[in-house]
Amino acid sequence: MGGGPLPIAVQRAHMAARWPAFRFGNIGGLRQAARWVGEVRPQFTRFTIELRYRLLEMPEVRVLRPALVCLPENPEGKLPHVYPPADDPVLCLFDPAANEWEGSMSLAETTLPWALDWLACYELWLMTGRWTGGGRHGSHIPSLGGLI
Amino acid sequence: MNVPFQHQGLNPFDNALDRILAEIALSVQLSPSLHEKADGRYSAVRAHLEASSVFAGQIEHFYPQGSMAIDATISNRGTDDEYDLDIVSQLGGRFRAMAPLAILIELERALADYPVTKVLRQTRCITLCYADRMHLDVTPALRIYDRRERESLITHGKGPHPGADDRFVDMNAYGFANWYRERTPLEIRLARAFRDHWLGLDSALHAEAEVDEVPDQTDFPVKNTATLALQLLKRFRNICYVDYDGRMPPSVMLSYFAGMAATPDMSLSDMLIRQARRIVRAIEEANLYGRLLHVSNPICPDDVFTDRWPADRRQQDGFAQHLRQLISGLEIAKRGEMMPDRLMEWLRTAFGARVVTKAADRMAEAVGQAVQGANQSYTRRGGLLFPAAGLAAAPAIAQARPHTFYGIKI
Repeated sequence: MGGGPLPIAVQRAHMAARWPAFRFGNIGGLRQAARWVGEVRPQFTRFTIELRYRLLEMPEVRVLRPALVCLPENPEGKLPHVYPPADDPVLCLFDPAANEWEGSMSLAETTLPWALDWLACYELWLMTGRWTGGGRHGSHIPSLGGLI
Repeated sequence: MNVPFQHQGLNPFDNALDRILAEIALSVQLSPSLHEKADGRYSAVRAHLEASSVFAGQIEHFYPQGSMAIDATISNRGTDDEYDLDIVSQLGGRFRAMAPLAILIELERALADYPVTKVLRQTRCITLCYADRMHLDVTPALRIYDRRERESLITHGKGPHPGADDRFVDMNAYGFANWYRERTPLEIRLARAFRDHWLGLDSALHAEAEVDEVPDQTDFPVKNTATLALQLLKRFRNICYVDYDGRMPPSVMLSYFAGMAATPDMSLSDMLIRQARRIVRAIEEANLYGRLLHVSNPICPDDVFTDRWPADRRQQDGFAQHLRQLISGLEIAKRGEMMPDRLMEWLRTAFGARVVTKAADRMAEAVGQAVQGANQSYTRRGGLLFPAAGLAAAPAIAQARPHTFYGIKI
């Protein structure tokens, strides 16, 4: 993709156009950091999710409601494809080694849809015990600066 | 040129709840290949009877009745892969002068050497048991010529000797099937979606030993939402009564309510709720007057569908209670208020563990493949649409981009 990081105002405009039901807010009154909260229904269940983004950092998506259910003995781990901590997991939506995301990309066209993909796969994982969405588990949380 | 208006129906694969319900129905219904096999067996039985000296020239009509006549066949109670099919053998000539039990015994004799694993004489029919666990009930009938088309008397005789309870029973299965079909016309979008889904599953199903090959040229195995919902309702009934030895609410009665509830372009889950509600209301109304539920063939009032069930108020109340639970579960699921693990548990209880597991597995594969191939798209409300979904009710607002899930095992 290339180019510099998209300013928050541009990300906000993209989000409003694509996902108008998501509410926008600045984080701590900063113009460099934003938060969107909205309700989605990828497959069967309604979830309220939060997307937090600080310029030059990695976007973070959390599920606010309902509480995510874990499967303790599952081969994918008790909650697949997330970053710890277990009591406040962040969904891990792209492989940092594969250069799939950078700050010049629109959150509305990448992060948000990828979170929906995660939730859809999570729903079927809860139903079948199998994660069919692919991906891999690594051993470390990537350096965020390298993504921008 | 004016083209007659035809309802398109809704594609059940557009919506996750309807999709898993449709997958469940698909797992219990007669596959297109078994349907074809059943058709062949009808013809073979007729040919066998006509080759016998007793039945030669005596068969006026030979036609499917019950679920096969309205394309609503599902596996029978307690099984996931056994099917009971019914045919009526309308007899003429010498049979018109015979007693009910005598006709049944003649039919049993003529079929005694038929190449099946077992031939059983029942109270109203002869059952042929095939090695693949299909059962074919052949019911002898005598046409009542001054009544509506194919209104007939069927035999009722317990045997082995003639008894005081032996009698002929009025019925018009043919007329009922026509009535049902008129009320549930083809919904082409649903029918195509379902046929394509069957054919799409062909290669996957090949790997499963218990499922036959789907023929290349198939008629629409499912024609409308009402019949698909009826199959789910019958399956729910079978599961509710799986450990119960007595009679259960009869399929023909459920078909009547499905026909009455039919309305075009409704979602599968809404249609299932609508059918269940109609039955609950009919039972509540009967209770109000202290009566048993009474349902008869809408074109032949003497053909009473509830003649053997319910035997008492307790039986009808029990079924109404089961249906209320079905309605309540579906409504919660429709609102998206059930977590998927709870939904799965509820579906298993309602429709049986094996078929629900199979349906969820198929859905998980499809969702995973779409996500990995970036073939899905998204609705404004944050729903995922998959390639198999045709003209979706909620239009797509974004297309997928490839990505790879990562994370730390926790």
